[in-house]
Amino acid sequence: MTYPTLEQKMQALKVVPASDYERQCVDAIPAGDYEIAVQRTADILDEGYEVFMRSSRSSMGVAGDSIVAMFTAAGDLVNASAGTYLHAVIPPIVIKYILARHAENPGINDGDIWYTNDALYGGIHNPDQVAMMPVFFDGELVAWTAALSHTTETGAIEPGGMPLSATSRFEEGMNLPPMRVGQNFSINDDVLEMFAAFGIRAEANVTVDMRARATTADRVRVRLLEMFEREGKEFVTGLFRRMLDDAEAGARARISSWADGTFRCVNFSDAAGLTQGLLRNCQMELTKKGDHLTIDFTGTSPETPSSYNAHPQAVVGHLANYIYEYVFHDLPISSATFAPIDFIFPENSMLSPDARAATSNAVMAASGAMSAIANCISRARFGSTDWRQVTASQGNGGNASVLAGVSQWGAFFADMIAYPINTEGQGAHATSDGMDAYGFPWCAFGRAPDVESMENEFPMLIPMSSHWRDSGGAGKYRGGVGTAQLWVTHHAPYVFAMAIADNSIVQTPQPLFGGYSQPTVPGVVLNGINVTEALATAESGTLTLEALLAGEFGGTPTSSTYGSAIHPVNGGDSIIIGLSTGGTGYGDPLDREIDSIDQDLVKQLVSPESAVHLYGAVLDRNGRVDRDATIGRRAEIVAERLARGVPYDEFEAAWSERKPDDSILGLFGHWPDGAVVTPLMRP
Amino acid sequence: MTKLHVAEYLDIDVEAERWHCHDCDRDLGPARENYKRGLLVAERDPSEVHPKVIEGEYTFSPNGDWVRLLEFYCPGCGRQVETEYLPAGHPLTRDTDIDIDSIKARIAAGEARINEEGKLEVTL
Repeated sequence: MTYPTLEQKMQALKVVPASDYERQCVDAIPAGDYEIAVQRTADILDEGYEVFMRSSRSSMGVAGDSIVAMFTAAGDLVNASAGTYLHAVIPPIVIKYILARHAENPGINDGDIWYTNDALYGGIHNPDQVAMMPVFFDGELVAWTAALSHTTETGAIEPGGMPLSATSRFEEGMNLPPMRVGQNFSINDDVLEMFAAFGIRAEANVTVDMRARATTADRVRVRLLEMFEREGKEFVTGLFRRMLDDAEAGARARISSWADGTFRCVNFSDAAGLTQGLLRNCQMELTKKGDHLTIDFTGTSPETPSSYNAHPQAVVGHLANYIYEYVFHDLPISSATFAPIDFIFPENSMLSPDARAATSNAVMAASGAMSAIANCISRARFGSTDWRQVTASQGNGGNASVLAGVSQWGAFFADMIAYPINTEGQGAHATSDGMDAYGFPWCAFGRAPDVESMENEFPMLIPMSSHWRDSGGAGKYRGGVGTAQLWVTHHAPYVFAMAIADNSIVQTPQPLFGGYSQPTVPGVVLNGINVTEALATAESGTLTLEALLAGEFGGTPTSSTYGSAIHPVNGGDSIIIGLSTGGTGYGDPLDREIDSIDQDLVKQLVSPESAVHLYGAVLDRNGRVDRDATIGRRAEIVAERLARGVPYDEFEAAWSERKPDDSILGLFGHWPDGAVVTPLMRP
Repeated sequence: MTKLHVAEYLDIDVEAERWHCHDCDRDLGPARENYKRGLLVAERDPSEVHPKVIEGEYTFSPNGDWVRLLEFYCPGCGRQVETEYLPAGHPLTRDTDIDIDSIKARIAAGEARINEEGKLEVTL
């Protein structure tokens, strides 16, 4: 096997140096034409993105959890339309692998369709799949195009593409290394049949999504060719190189504007697949010097005997989610922006596992990295004129639910429900609250589908879908609240359900500058009632999360971990109370504007109890905030803090003598440094 | 202007090389050391801040046997400067080390200045 090493993958992220010819082409671009042509690339890619969403079948493809990209002939990413920034940096690894490995055999030809979903070779996890097409002009390879998206079925040991119970890659279903799946602008029928066979649980999702990727890559290829024909090879070659130059220069200028220093964050999670245990999900040390960043993950817990591992480039992709949303938001989506960033991954950690490791839940493993990068970069840039862009971390819960079975239309299906994951709350900002139900931290532009669309698509009734009160981390600026939904099997005798999580015992993101994190996310089911009957017979009441948990509609709420293995759920039973986490808080809650507390109460985003206990509010008999009394109460709370706080050195001396119970440290690695204790053996 | 506003509640006096509370200006110690050494610390059970809402092992509050909530206060004004959720006994995070020498060098070279907002402003 020749899968790329860690060093080769990191090297592939670096832009290939410009040739003399490319420099000549850059110099020949007429003034003014460059900006117009940059916008043209964006227009082409936006057209591709629209085609992609309209052609996809899986919920996440339809929601826009995708990216459409164009590359130089050498495989460097020039620009993209997203979607998800998860793929904004790393696709060059795969194209450069194809160029290095397959240029001679089987060769790279006009009309080829190349494909991969194997994270060992450079992706995120195997539900994320990419179709790539070389662009030939006058018989010469001049560019590449690609379309990447998440398909929610891979033929793994469990449905939905992200099996909780997989312990190695051999239980994750289809893993295709980079390979040619089509020629002469057509997908090979035998390959398509292979996809259908792996996707037998949801054949339409798998085969239609595969066609959508190829269709989209080809649309961008056709538009690029038009550009080559209209503008000439020299112009487009110069355009691409200058876009790479500008992207890298923009990134370096942005980084340079911050003070030099070292910034650290550590965070935790509570499960690896179906095994509970405390993990140091990410230990990050970010060193900023000049125009360069080094990000070191040493100290992150060892790789796990589950699918909660992420190959290093998948971790880089997760960092891109935050960095592109908040730091490089005004730069082209290009691998060149990461040229000033280097990484240190500890071998055999959950962020750099063995080749045999299962990584289909890489998104869970890398949620800590995605949270820590927000924390570290915010600390790095707060002292700069960039400070208004500082944010607390997103919630990064990713509490995804998977449904499978036979729909009300008699069709087999297996899909991840797009609504919950696309309605998480946003992390608070340095100048404002996080947006409520803002979206999906893994896909900033993903769209939550309408409830009615989901009820039409799946055998489900969704009688409640609303903001989740108190789910935003408290602070001077509050994390945006997430959402709560009630999912009930409907129009089908049963469905199969599973859910993915690692935040039912501890929440992963750390807050910022004195705020609090969001709540944990338990799995709650209602035992003892048929929900559809209860709703039909209820005489009054408003269906809210609070009413359900209080038993106002009957039944007994029973909690477990939100993550659950695949299990059947009968018609009329609630599958789960779906919870989409809130964002983390920023700043001291006692600093929050009193009017903002009042507004939160009116909008039912914060409970009266939280207003009193977290924000020091005193409420009048109408439940509104009494301003003068609140100012007085806050002074009392400050006095209480000063009375209970102990000097740091004194506290640390006693604290460092303690340790969690060994029963929860089975996944942690060596205490407290997280080093590998016993290497994993996978058959 | 010699004070750099490096966190919501923290300044660094670059010339004096001292941490200060941004709100009350309390001196919090040498800028080349961990600013947290100048703060007060309180340990709380997470459920004091995150109501459990429901009974049982799995609730809406982090489990206090797994992580603790640490709050760091300015000893001068009681401002909650930082918080961190950590397992009991886990090393406290030294989250911020600003390179004082680099800032001084950039200012001396005319490459940057500390502006009226207390922010590092690149001038070249």
